[in-house]
Amino acid sequence: MATVTQQLDPGSGQFLSTAFPALVRGGTNFPVVGLAYDAAANEAAFWLIRAANYGTGNVTVDVDWYADTATTGAVVWQAQLAAITTDTDTQDTETKALATLDTVTDSHLGTVGQRLHRAVITMTNLDALAADDDLWIRIARDAANAADTMAGDAILTLATVSYSDV
Amino acid sequence: MAVMDATNRLRTWAQAMRDWPRSIGMPGVTKPELRAALNATDDWIEANQGSFNAALPIPFRTTATVPQKVFLFCYVAMRRAGRLKAQED
Repeated sequence: MATVTQQLDPGSGQFLSTAFPALVRGGTNFPVVGLAYDAAANEAAFWLIRAANYGTGNVTVDVDWYADTATTGAVVWQAQLAAITTDTDTQDTETKALATLDTVTDSHLGTVGQRLHRAVITMTNLDALAADDDLWIRIARDAANAADTMAGDAILTLATVSYSDV
Repeated sequence: MAVMDATNRLRTWAQAMRDWPRSIGMPGVTKPELRAALNATDDWIEANQGSFNAALPIPFRTTATVPQKVFLFCYVAMRRAGRLKAQED
């Protein structure tokens, strides 16, 4: 039994034609590349991975992020997925719907504005995920949520997807 | 000149968060607290526009329109906030 972990690089994220986070780069001594999620508009990015060796159970999405300017408040992160079993599912790929979203609220821990945080989303809405499915993952900031109180952008630097292989 | 309507206040709040300079940092407040401060600023401008007008010297006070006075006010405020760069800089 093992945990399979896959990384979602911000630079490889895909977007719809509207409501997407900007790709930004900062850093003094090494480049810090991320997706800047707005504080006032819901924005989302998407990734496609293969659910290699997926066994059973929930999928965990870790969102590593830091605040652009804020030192307090909370961010509401959302994750959704859509799974297609190749050669088996007859669903039109381009009209496939995402499963119900899962969320987590992660608070800024203060002290230093641009410190790195990790929000952990436990995804229980799995869209009948099976081993080796093509898996689309949507990660968004629910800026309109009353619990999302952090002013300014939240910058996603890395997301990981993990699950059990049994 | 009336206070901004809800839509304009919302858009000002949203854009202010996007443009907020890292160089001055965000105060330790939440989005609702920042919005309340923005609303208060708009209310204060509305309540004190008479005082501002009275402080303006003639002939500017008597010849400038309200939008012209607001424009001047904004430029001074932007420069004080470090958001206005002049050609001479």
